[in-house]
Amino acid sequence: MKTQQNQMKREFLPVLAATVAILTSAVTGVAAADAPPNRTLGFVVRDWMPAVYESKFIDECPAGLNISNDEIWWRSLSKAERSEKTQDGLITTLDRWFLSKNRGPNGEDVCINPEVIKDDPPLLTVEGATSFGVNLDGNVDGSATPKSCRHDNFSSPAGVPGIDNQLYRLIGCVYGFRDQGVIEINANEMRRTSGLAMILIEVTDVDDARNDDDVTVTFYRSIDQFPLDSSGQVIPYSSYRIDHKDDGPRYGDSLKASIVDGVIQTSSGDVRLPYYGNYNYLHPVIRDMQMTLEITDDGADAKGMVAGYYDLEQYLYHTGGLGPVITTGNFSCPAFFEAAKRMADGYPDPETGECTHISSAFEVKAHAAFVVHPEQTSKMETAER
Amino acid sequence: MLISRMKLSFSRTACVAVAVFALTACGESEPQTGGVPPDMRRVTVEQYRNVIHDVFGEHIEIASRFDPLVRTDGLFAIGARNALVTPSGFEKFYNVARSVAGQVVNEDNRAVLVSCTPEDASSADDACSRHFFSEVGRYLYRRPLTESEMETAVSAANEVADQFGDFYTGIEFGLTGLLVTPSFLFIVDETEPDTSSPSGQRLTGYAKAARLSFFLWNSAPDEMLLKAAESGDLHTEKGMTRQVDRMLQSQFLARGVRAFFEDFLDLEKFETLEKDTIIYPAYTVKAAESAKEQLLRTIVDHTVNKDAPYPEIFTTRSTFVDSHLGRVYRVPVTRPDGGWESYEFPENDVRAGILTQMGFLSLYSHPGRSSATLRGKAVRELLLCQKVPDPPGDIDFSLFNDPNAPSRTARQRLTVHATVPSCAGCHKLTDPIGLGFEQFDGIGQFRVAEQGAVIDVSGDLDGNQFDNAKSLAQAMHDSPGVPACLTNQLYSYAAGRAPERDEREFVRYLEASFAESGYSLQALLRDIATSDAFYAVTQPENGDDGVRAASLNDKTKQELGS
Repeated sequence: MKTQQNQMKREFLPVLAATVAILTSAVTGVAAADAPPNRTLGFVVRDWMPAVYESKFIDECPAGLNISNDEIWWRSLSKAERSEKTQDGLITTLDRWFLSKNRGPNGEDVCINPEVIKDDPPLLTVEGATSFGVNLDGNVDGSATPKSCRHDNFSSPAGVPGIDNQLYRLIGCVYGFRDQGVIEINANEMRRTSGLAMILIEVTDVDDARNDDDVTVTFYRSIDQFPLDSSGQVIPYSSYRIDHKDDGPRYGDSLKASIVDGVIQTSSGDVRLPYYGNYNYLHPVIRDMQMTLEITDDGADAKGMVAGYYDLEQYLYHTGGLGPVITTGNFSCPAFFEAAKRMADGYPDPETGECTHISSAFEVKAHAAFVVHPEQTSKMETAER
Repeated sequence: MLISRMKLSFSRTACVAVAVFALTACGESEPQTGGVPPDMRRVTVEQYRNVIHDVFGEHIEIASRFDPLVRTDGLFAIGARNALVTPSGFEKFYNVARSVAGQVVNEDNRAVLVSCTPEDASSADDACSRHFFSEVGRYLYRRPLTESEMETAVSAANEVADQFGDFYTGIEFGLTGLLVTPSFLFIVDETEPDTSSPSGQRLTGYAKAARLSFFLWNSAPDEMLLKAAESGDLHTEKGMTRQVDRMLQSQFLARGVRAFFEDFLDLEKFETLEKDTIIYPAYTVKAAESAKEQLLRTIVDHTVNKDAPYPEIFTTRSTFVDSHLGRVYRVPVTRPDGGWESYEFPENDVRAGILTQMGFLSLYSHPGRSSATLRGKAVRELLLCQKVPDPPGDIDFSLFNDPNAPSRTARQRLTVHATVPSCAGCHKLTDPIGLGFEQFDGIGQFRVAEQGAVIDVSGDLDGNQFDNAKSLAQAMHDSPGVPACLTNQLYSYAAGRAPERDEREFVRYLEASFAESGYSLQALLRDIATSDAFYAVTQPENGDDGVRAASLNDKTKQELGS
């Protein structure tokens, strides 16, 4: 009897598994081995954060994490100066950010004019060997190439050598950029509630939503805000119109890509993307950008990584304008600026030889979305009745 | 459209075809009915709002709720006949009346809404007051004010104007008075002697106009209809037909049709609809509002704009969506910032018709899961006019709700009922229909599995087999009970009561005529609105003058009288 039962199980279970697989495919829509509607997949990026590799005991930062701009300023003051500048202590810690920011010799804002201070303690940077990211310059020894400056490479957590991620080296020992750090959490929250700089990802020419060796991935900016559910979470499968001007989309760079088992892997290319966070709006071109995006089985969500050379000037504009977040972000603006210049490893200036970009990697989380083009809006009959 | 109707007619069962031939193809005239005693119906909130907006403008805000009506025989329109005005209910009417009157005479509106200018705004102006109340009172009461009513309004206005030193304050108080009288709050069947009628009575022209207007437009008569009433045109077939045809062409017809279907489909339930948003993140209050609006837009577009056959509301792929519904249906919308757009579900889509829309599917589900029983019951009771008995009070839900039970799908859980005789009797009426919608969760999102198990959506509707919601919708489309139910309920809605025994033949006549028209709702509206039966009355009961005094309780009558 037992043998018979086992025999039945052997015959039945594969059938059951196949049935479940078919069902799953049908439920999710995108998991099916069919083309999605209009041969298109769409996503809206919910989270965009620098990919920071963190070890259990912060071994990557052997000298510890950086102290804040405020703390550096505070330590430089005598007790009498502290009393004078804080109205005898009435201006509390979190409200001193603007005082510490304006600590230049002539009261300059040291985050906007970081070069006016030269004697801050140097920024503590990552000294570990492991990082997220990709090999952007094509070599594994960190030597200079026509499009990169000499730098130290990382290995990926899986042991792949040649990982270029100097942004991680720059920010990895700054508390505000690490997991649960206020800088990127605040930026995400501001994007979520303001609807600014929302990135849309559209995958076209899709014949098979799970496996297709030739698709096109295009990046747009949305003019519509996230719809949120009652708990403040983004609701998937919403429609977003792309930001469009007279002669076409304001953003709309494309990369060729493939899909393997639900993972989208783009080729490399220059892509302009919008960014908003901590009161700053950027529109950097990420050079040699490539993206890996894994779609969940139910098709409702996706997560992955974007890597490329980030425009350093734009990045420093962003970090210099963090405002009050700098207090809790914990770094010295002048030291950060000096280190960033030193870490830059991409696209040397032909005249000075200084690199203008910094290798980077960002974690992205996205939701399934419908990307609406202007021609769709104008073609569809509206019904204002 | 015509071909579609012909197909539809031929696809009907033989009994309907026979009825068509028997009653209409042979030129059968409208069966005689005996009429009913005159009565009165309280206006609904929507009717109140429509009348005020029609008379004074859309900008007049009406921010209050009145006492609810009791849904009777499947319609609030019937419950309105038995509505009482309680002291607290009267207070609500009074507060709204004060608010409306205050807005009418405020400095922004008085120049337009008060059609005469007093000689001295700091005192009473009898002529101007009389002019105002004569004009406005005719619209509000749906007839000219009697001399007594006019004197009451004018003298009240004059007295207050003199007391407060402000003509407009007087108008405000006088208008408030008009807005809380039974003649405004109730649609009254006023009658007059008629020697040509078997009962010796008929509705007055104004009463006919009101009945007609509230039926087709869900509001009070307009100027042309009042003039037709005044001239006696509504007592002639030609005059009545002219007015009905004019009203059917009006933009206000959509408002009337919406009102009927809101009542017919019991859409007031949306006001208390709740869902577990942890389970259904796409459900929001806005989404629920959109779901109701989608149902009504679909129906109005289908029956009014397109004049398409009524049964096709169960199979049409055409509808309207907004951003909230786009997330539930997982379809793109071109106006994510708001607004409606037409949408047609693809031919191979699982959805077709109003029963696969979020409105129906979410309304007849539990807060955290779907319900084949509630959906099946709604189909039976609302759309087929069949009564499903209430469940017994001693139901043991332990088997059905056992979280450790091996059953994963609703069908598996509901088979428990088949083993309990006291449950099986009703559930065999509801569940075979409702299980056809199980591929839609508690808010109408599509799924093919529940807890990993395939959902079987086959079933039958009174012998017609179906294998999914779409073929169930087709079975509804083909069911002779669907147009029959609509006909009965539409006539009940129009008359404010269920058909009397001697009206059954008339209702069958309407059904046959409806079929012959290719199930044009507009044709059915016309048949009812131009019929003699719709207006037939007998002698008032107890010698009343047409106003059934029992509709107001004694205390309220005293308050109104004072």
